[in-house]
Amino acid sequence: MALDSRTVSVAAREAAAEAPRRGRWSAAGVRRVAGKLGGLALTLFLASLLVFFSRFLVPGDPVSFLLRGRKPSPEAIAQVTAQYGLDLPPWQQYLNWLGGALTGDFGRSLQYRQDVSTVIGERLPVTLMLVVMSGILIAIVGLSAGVVAALNRGRPLDRLTLVGLTVLSAIPSFVGSIVLIAIFAVQLGWFPTFGSGQGFGDMVYHLVLPSIALAIVFVVLVGKVTRSSMVEQLGREHVEVATSRGLKRATVIRRHVFRNALGPILTVSGVLVAGLLVASTIVEAAFGLAGIGSLLVQSVDRLDFPVVQAIVMLVVTAFVVVNAIVDLTEPWIDPRSAAGASAR
Amino acid sequence: MSRLLDIDGLTLELHDGTRLLEGISLSVAPGETVGLVGESGSGKSLTARTVLGLVPERSRLGGRVRLDGREVIGAPARDILDLRRHAAAMIFQDPRAGINPMRTIGDHLTETLRRCEGKSAAEARARAIELLADVQLPRPEEHFGQYPHEFSGGMLQRVMIAGALTSSPKLLICDEPTTALDVTTQAEIVRVLVELRERRGMGMLFITHDLNLAASLCDRVVVMSRGRVEESGDARRVFTAPEADYTRRLIEATPSIAVRSLDGEAEADASAPAGPMLEVRGLDKQYQLRGRPPVHAVVEAELEIPRGGSLGVVGESGSGKSTLARMIVGLEQPDRGEVRIAGRERSTAPRSRAERIAHAKSVQMVFQDPYLSLDPRIPAGRAIQDVLRLHGGLDRVAAEARALELLEAVGLGERHLAARPKTLSGGQRQRVAIARALAIEPELLVMDEATSALDVSVQAQVLDLVAQLRAQRGLTVLFISHDLGVVRRVCERAVVMRRGEIVEQGPSERLLREPEHPYTRLLVDSVPRPSWEAAA
Amino acid sequence: MTTPTPTLAVKVLRAPRAHRTSLVFAIACGVVAVMTLAAVFAPFVAPYPPDAVDFTAVNAGPSAAHWLGTDGLGRDLLSRLVFGARTALLGPLLVVIGSTIIGMLLGLLAGWRGGWIDAVLGRVFDVLFAFPSLLLAIMAVALFGKGLVAPVIAMSIAYAPFVARLTRALVKAERTRPYVAAYRVQGFGGAWIAFRRVLPNVTPIVGAQSTLNFGYVLAELAGLSFLGLGVQPPTPDWGAMINEAQSGVAGGYFLPAIVPAVAVVLVVVAVNIIGEELSDRIGGGVPA
Repeated sequence: MALDSRTVSVAAREAAAEAPRRGRWSAAGVRRVAGKLGGLALTLFLASLLVFFSRFLVPGDPVSFLLRGRKPSPEAIAQVTAQYGLDLPPWQQYLNWLGGALTGDFGRSLQYRQDVSTVIGERLPVTLMLVVMSGILIAIVGLSAGVVAALNRGRPLDRLTLVGLTVLSAIPSFVGSIVLIAIFAVQLGWFPTFGSGQGFGDMVYHLVLPSIALAIVFVVLVGKVTRSSMVEQLGREHVEVATSRGLKRATVIRRHVFRNALGPILTVSGVLVAGLLVASTIVEAAFGLAGIGSLLVQSVDRLDFPVVQAIVMLVVTAFVVVNAIVDLTEPWIDPRSAAGASAR
Repeated sequence: MSRLLDIDGLTLELHDGTRLLEGISLSVAPGETVGLVGESGSGKSLTARTVLGLVPERSRLGGRVRLDGREVIGAPARDILDLRRHAAAMIFQDPRAGINPMRTIGDHLTETLRRCEGKSAAEARARAIELLADVQLPRPEEHFGQYPHEFSGGMLQRVMIAGALTSSPKLLICDEPTTALDVTTQAEIVRVLVELRERRGMGMLFITHDLNLAASLCDRVVVMSRGRVEESGDARRVFTAPEADYTRRLIEATPSIAVRSLDGEAEADASAPAGPMLEVRGLDKQYQLRGRPPVHAVVEAELEIPRGGSLGVVGESGSGKSTLARMIVGLEQPDRGEVRIAGRERSTAPRSRAERIAHAKSVQMVFQDPYLSLDPRIPAGRAIQDVLRLHGGLDRVAAEARALELLEAVGLGERHLAARPKTLSGGQRQRVAIARALAIEPELLVMDEATSALDVSVQAQVLDLVAQLRAQRGLTVLFISHDLGVVRRVCERAVVMRRGEIVEQGPSERLLREPEHPYTRLLVDSVPRPSWEAAA
Repeated sequence: MTTPTPTLAVKVLRAPRAHRTSLVFAIACGVVAVMTLAAVFAPFVAPYPPDAVDFTAVNAGPSAAHWLGTDGLGRDLLSRLVFGARTALLGPLLVVIGSTIIGMLLGLLAGWRGGWIDAVLGRVFDVLFAFPSLLLAIMAVALFGKGLVAPVIAMSIAYAPFVARLTRALVKAERTRPYVAAYRVQGFGGAWIAFRRVLPNVTPIVGAQSTLNFGYVLAELAGLSFLGLGVQPPTPDWGAMINEAQSGVAGGYFLPAIVPAVAVVLVVVAVNIIGEELSDRIGGGVPA
């Protein structure tokens, strides 16, 4: 085969063209991070507009909205009007609220007559503990279920796992709570039915059943994503190449299948955080835990809107921030995303 | 004689009883290259994979496969690992899919050295860099830390070869290693493979659907079809004097670029009546991608096809040939220049329904992949009727009758009227696509790589159909292809494109026989030819 | 030892599977059908009015008179279950219909037109994603008061972005397929292609996802009633029934809580099986 001498240099030229785009902290990388942070700020800003101005969707005057269900004396009306600046134009009310929220001041609770931040601060540890315990449970059970199913795809163990996950996915947290209370707390008496306990160890003990109830549905989510992501990778040619080179199956699974399957799993984990915070309302109500979930329900019940606003904003912020973090870790999971190359 | 690989009566049956391989026998001696050729579904890849114990789950194997003196079938996992590590290695078709995109090139190369041979990081690195130099990559040290997405397909295939060589295999199995690559890149890769084979004295089992490629580098070939060996023997004997019918048909269907007599040119001159059907003047298109330099996809293209003529556009991937086609049919708007079809300006986007229909009447297109260019939900007959009713205003009955006529004209029949695309074969789908394009009775038909997704025998049928339709209907055809042999078969004239520019044009035969531009020459020279002809 | 499947075998193995799940699928459809019929014809099916009190049987176990027993007030659990199916099924149905219509239209718009419309809608979806559906429903209750109306509207809005994002992604993928280019070359207009060809091609996948959404919404609305924020007593509702039965559980009376809980699980399992089966079946028919 006669070849033109210039072809030989084609590869060299291509390599030269590619060279400047290397490196994770390239200009493009910095621009990407800045873009993500800008997007985060914009999303949070738009969310805050929604949370604040939702109040204006309710017909009628704002004072009587805030004081629903209470018998307002003229003094109370005057006080509320002054405190929330209800006589100011809406955009100014918003700026005041936003300014306060940025410094951790969400105004005063109508039911507790305390600062909203204080009320929430007292309740936050229980919820965080619950979410963390659930998260650990979800990671362990969900990942292992997904991995086991994927490695046995098409076999009885896979089908069994899938059936199990389908059944679990239909057990909402309030059903899970009731069943767990009935069996392990009331019948067997192994765990308390109520409250969050005193001190760290006692708290963990009190939160075992609640964290299981909370985890059930999310285990399914993680399990299914893990399975499908791994199954997809198992069918990829690079896995076959690795196998053909004489690597042990365990090595292939770890370095080429699981590693490559991480992306979707991480993305789901980001969505999970907000889901856990919201679902904890139900679990906290069922187990009588004094967390922000039960506080939210109580505040809705007692028409304490400033607290509702604050908790909603808190959950939304948690969601947006966690997802931004997941987004930013992407280049470490998949180097192609840093270069803006399309994933395949 | 001690054989490196000896396959005898190999059968493979899936767990549901489907038999995919029926008594395959072949052998490879050290230093010898054996070609395994056949169309898709012939079982050639499957045969090669059993050598490394890569078989579908729960399948049953029969017969014997001896690699380097050891039996593979039924061997314990430990022995299979050992064979994969020391006896044989495999190069796969698509390097982009075959190298883990999330790990570095260095990791790919050192993985087996470190994890199977227990080499230290520094030793493995030194060996990897040596191998990268062996496959003639320009900057091995730098490539070591790069990721696959930073490489072109040709460079990645070199990495894949280097990866296969880390174990110093005695047998190298190549599964269509150049099919995903352009013809000039293919020539480079083949050159690297041949050189390494000679230097290391490896045996090679080379799987390909391309008979020309097999003829260019194999000592012996094995022709497979539907899980059976149709014929095997000395490469020159098989290709010049085939014994099996199947082999003969395959050879006839394969387009060749071997120089023929001069009648092609005479024909072209005879059929040049007044007034060009397609006139492209100064057509120019740039793509602006964010954060990257603009890509000049088509540069000042000029071309012309006489009424009833056919023109081939040849080029490698990225040459701008598809963009040119898309501008001519109106799927893209050019930045500058004009397209005239039958004397009418057609380069501006149609604004009204009437303009759209007039545009469609002037030019139709047949797309590359018949699996994607038909709406999966719409049966063949219905697809054609929709077009007829849009353009001809026919009623339902008349449209149905006409649709059947068109299907029959492309060699299909009544039973295909209600067939959904997924029940049709690739060749049948492409026939439906052609019938659908003809329904509009366009003045110009653009075929964009319309046969490159098909097997050669099916490709030959579709090309015959196009020739027949041209003769019957006086159709004007613009034929886009990467394959010089195919273009020569269909078109009197051709243009060669490279990086958006038309570098040369002229009668197809002349371009093949005496290319003027260096790139055309490179393209022609890169097409594999039988080793006995090259030597002569 | 297992190894990956080669090309030819991949095709063979990925051929349409036999209907091995058809029995389970049929049972799931049966469960949903029975529940739906019970809800529609509740007055004829239920042995007692939902709030009829039997003082002779308080927290009683199953008997001939009360097949599933009674609750703490002596109300027949079977009757309450049957009437409760009305709110339990109607709410999710409305949410699924609302969110699917809004989501598909917006998704088609964003995916087909692209450009700034896509960018703006994408931002709107991003913001709405930050509000989990249950949270949005709770906020709606805080604003507009308890009941089913505000949460159903809020959840329709909360689920619409999921449908929209799926539709958008599918439409965007579809739009780059050669068959769409082929329609254009044949002279068909953009709107015709989008609504008559692309939309029907993506509808089955979106429909399967919406079916799965039904299960999630049912669980969440029942959860809202469990929290006391949704359907208010004495209107029978599965979530509210569990809420009322909660105090009894601590005293060892499980049945009043378990009966509606089992109903919730049963319907959600059935709907999930149907949804998964549908998306499995469709998965084979759509070009990858």
